[in-house]
Amino acid sequence: MAQFLQQMVNGLALGSIYALIALGYTMVYGIIALINFAYGEIYMFGAFTGLFLVLTWKANLYLAIFGAMAFTTVLGLVVERVAYRPLRRSRNAGRLSALISAIGASIFLSTLMVLLHGPATTGFPTLFQNRNFVLGGASISLYQILIIGVSALLMVGLDLFVRYTKTGRAMRALSQDADAAALMGVNTDLMIAITFAIGSALAGAAGVLAGIYFNAVQPYMGLMAGLKAFAAAVLGGIGSIPGAVVGGLLIGLAEIMGVAAKLSDWKDAFAFAILILVLLVKPSGLLGRSIIKKV
Amino acid sequence: MSTVDNSVSGAVPGAPAPRRQPAWLELWPVQALLFLALLVAVWAVTEALNLVIPAYQGQILLFTGINVIITLGLNLITGVTGQLSLGHAAFMAIGAYAAAICTVSLHLPFALALLLGGLVAALFGVVLGFPTLRLSGDYLAIATLGFAEIVRVVNTNLKITNGAIGYYGIQKRVDLPLVAMLAVAAVAAMAWLENSRNGRAMRSVREDEIAATASGVNTTFYKIQAFAVGAFFAGVGGGLYAHTTTFIQPTDFGFLKSVEQLSMVVLGGMGSIAGTVLGTIVLTAAPELLRFMSNYRMLVYGATLIVLMIFRPGGLLGGVDLRDAVRRALMLGRSRTVRTSVGGDGQ
Amino acid sequence: MRRLSAKGFLALLLVAAMAVSVAGCSTGSSSGKSDNGPIKIGFLGAKTGNVAIYGLNGLKGLHMAIDEINAAGGVLGRQIQLLEEDDAGQKDQATNITTKYVTADHVAAIIGDPTTGITRVAGQIANSHETVIMSFGSTGTGVVEIGPYVFRDTLLDAIAGPAMVDYAISKKGWKNFALVTSKNNDFSVSLSSIFRDAIKAKGGNIVVEESIQDGDTDFSGQVTNIKAKSPDVIVFSGYYTEGGLIMKEVRKQGLNNVVMIGGDGLQGADFWKLGGEATEGSISYAGFSSEQASGKTADFIKKFHDKYNEDPELFAAQAYDAIYIIASAMKAANSADPKVYRDKLAQTKNYEGVSGTITFRENREPLKSPVYLLQVSGAKDPASAKFTLLDKVPVK
Repeated sequence: MAQFLQQMVNGLALGSIYALIALGYTMVYGIIALINFAYGEIYMFGAFTGLFLVLTWKANLYLAIFGAMAFTTVLGLVVERVAYRPLRRSRNAGRLSALISAIGASIFLSTLMVLLHGPATTGFPTLFQNRNFVLGGASISLYQILIIGVSALLMVGLDLFVRYTKTGRAMRALSQDADAAALMGVNTDLMIAITFAIGSALAGAAGVLAGIYFNAVQPYMGLMAGLKAFAAAVLGGIGSIPGAVVGGLLIGLAEIMGVAAKLSDWKDAFAFAILILVLLVKPSGLLGRSIIKKV
Repeated sequence: MSTVDNSVSGAVPGAPAPRRQPAWLELWPVQALLFLALLVAVWAVTEALNLVIPAYQGQILLFTGINVIITLGLNLITGVTGQLSLGHAAFMAIGAYAAAICTVSLHLPFALALLLGGLVAALFGVVLGFPTLRLSGDYLAIATLGFAEIVRVVNTNLKITNGAIGYYGIQKRVDLPLVAMLAVAAVAAMAWLENSRNGRAMRSVREDEIAATASGVNTTFYKIQAFAVGAFFAGVGGGLYAHTTTFIQPTDFGFLKSVEQLSMVVLGGMGSIAGTVLGTIVLTAAPELLRFMSNYRMLVYGATLIVLMIFRPGGLLGGVDLRDAVRRALMLGRSRTVRTSVGGDGQ
Repeated sequence: MRRLSAKGFLALLLVAAMAVSVAGCSTGSSSGKSDNGPIKIGFLGAKTGNVAIYGLNGLKGLHMAIDEINAAGGVLGRQIQLLEEDDAGQKDQATNITTKYVTADHVAAIIGDPTTGITRVAGQIANSHETVIMSFGSTGTGVVEIGPYVFRDTLLDAIAGPAMVDYAISKKGWKNFALVTSKNNDFSVSLSSIFRDAIKAKGGNIVVEESIQDGDTDFSGQVTNIKAKSPDVIVFSGYYTEGGLIMKEVRKQGLNNVVMIGGDGLQGADFWKLGGEATEGSISYAGFSSEQASGKTADFIKKFHDKYNEDPELFAAQAYDAIYIIASAMKAANSADPKVYRDKLAQTKNYEGVSGTITFRENREPLKSPVYLLQVSGAKDPASAKFTLLDKVPVK
């Protein structure tokens, strides 16, 4: 039983990181129906920024997270401006063109990091002394508490923002009906930029947290994490913020439970198998809105 | 970003009477014979080419040919039928392993192994096609992605595929003339399919699925057919690949490979066969041509994708009616085709 | 029904046009084996992609060796020119590169690939064109069997693995083992089966087996499973990156008395850079030790450190040796033509390299004797941690 609880905690920690990235995917998708493939790389840049801050400026934990978020926000905005906005303007561009552009951005960013840093995996210096708390037989590390705690904070913050601020309302309006929102005076470009900014900030935070938790930062770390986070966003219902959280946690738990059940060889397949199964039953995802197409 | 080529003969008032092909050319035995003649010509040309071309360039051409076969399949699924597939490499993997197991363990003749590889892949295409019926757009995309990852994990863990260590001992049975002939045959097959009733039905699914269903098109059937045929092509390409590198591992067919293949299709212009071929040639040759800037190679590759999409979002040959363009270039007189372009999402 | 018309024809035309343009870009075709001019050596490995770290490290060792050789006058009075392409860990790119090396560049030797998979593919091509290829990292099966021109200078696990297990059971008294394998790493999968057999043969007990994948960063699930079985020691058959991270997680979950033992895949400073204090006391085997009597390895480590500001790891050392071994074979045969010097190469005996003392057996498999068992010490401070000599086991 203790072991089971322990694995649950492991799963929640991992899931929290997926959830943070998934939030970015789902928000951007909700507004402009774009699968931002470069999110994994923004997450990776967040991790490296945190590492850089800690190594060169002896930043402490909180500074590292804030600093990374600041940097990735800017990075996300740049990517949006360079790779996506021109396509939105163009008459000829369909969703697939934007997708390919996103893929190009993803390849560009990961190669850039290899050139800047080299392909080796680097560890985070120890930022704080670990302590283990025993809860019902399971031993939970301070790291895990940090991950779950910070993620929860950010997610709640986002939810409050979207629900109670004017900008948040504008974003929601935009995701429901872009034309109507524009007619109501919502500055579309600005809203999209803000959405990208928030999503990128979250991805950056996730990156630093992942770097600290796993103690491993490497230029290609964004690929798999990005894929799984995207699966998580779809699982929860893409466009739905609570859905992204649920999806991320579910996938993290599924992976760890798979390992616990001695099926770790198949662990990567779990995330996707669950996704496909859920989509078969509920094609718009767990918490997604059923899209009724009117003819 | 879809451009439908609607050939409406004689529909423009005041235009000169449309030139028709001579009647005997329309007979199918004649067409079959001409096609065979074409294949023989291709074989002869590439045999000669093989002797002259340095091995390095020949190798690149060979891989280009294999990729063409595979991406034509993806073009059918994504470009023509509008079903976004992010897991095409999985079909390539299935075909590769199936063909390899056929020749190495079951000692079947190579041609049969290739065919079986394609058929097994097609079977999985159907398997993937069914559940995706209810999914649309990006949900479908992620489901195909998931499928490809599952295939990769399964390949890494099965005994019969030798897992992560990889499947080796495959004989090298592929050379440039063979690939050239198969590539030409693939192009021909695709062209034939696209201009047939099936092809038009598939395009209607892409254009507006609801309207198509309302018009009585069995969209289910055609979606699955697209997946099956597309997978078949990828499977055959995979079999060729296995018998070229003589050794395959599950990591050869990962997500990045699927992305590469999708890029080739979109770059060239989705739904367009010539576009797919062009996109494949460009992106297969590009890493080789960019070798001189080895460290920055992938940087340039990524940036190129972005730039190309911004300046030509429809793809290199998107929106271009090839016959029109060739005719105009050769100044062969007014074209009898009327081109209509339908804007909007390729969805 | 329209027939194949302009589209297919145009496609063919495009292919032809591309072929011509690519042919126009072909690199120089001067022979690297001819009597004058530089000796061309081709590097095969990944400079980008997931396995880039092994290729790039090998390249560092190669560069250092070639600089030294050239500074000392080259081989047979000719300077060595290194061609370095990036195969990104992909078989089709490796196929293209190898073909280019042997047919267009006419290299005198190919050094690489660090992975078994690509070495197998490249080996076929090199061997059929009678060009020597020496891998500085592949240890899996099916490599040298390809043909007389295929070599490698790695430490074979079939020899070293049992030696390590023997030490663990008889000298350390460990009975209960946790075996961890990296399932997508062929080196690890082969080594694990060697470890498994050896442990059973010597009366040990495998209490739990777990698998990970190269590239994984989360091991919490596996370590929780391991912790539940209370093993005496963790045996890991993979590489240093994952090894270090696993140990970090092991300590994080409160399992404080257990160390890791493993193959020479752990031979890299990243083992303690990533694992920190958790790697203290862990043991790995290698064909070399910085405390070797001859001092050659210690020298190499110092020179490498001066040049690159980091310690050399396994692939750098083996690549360094590979070019030197080939160079000495060329000198012995008085020719840079692989058809000529191959025999001398195959007869290499007791070559004192920085990665071990190497002899090629009858079947060209490398034998490195003795096998050194090295223990991590000083891991508290990653800047000064190192592998110290624990024991050495002569092998045949």
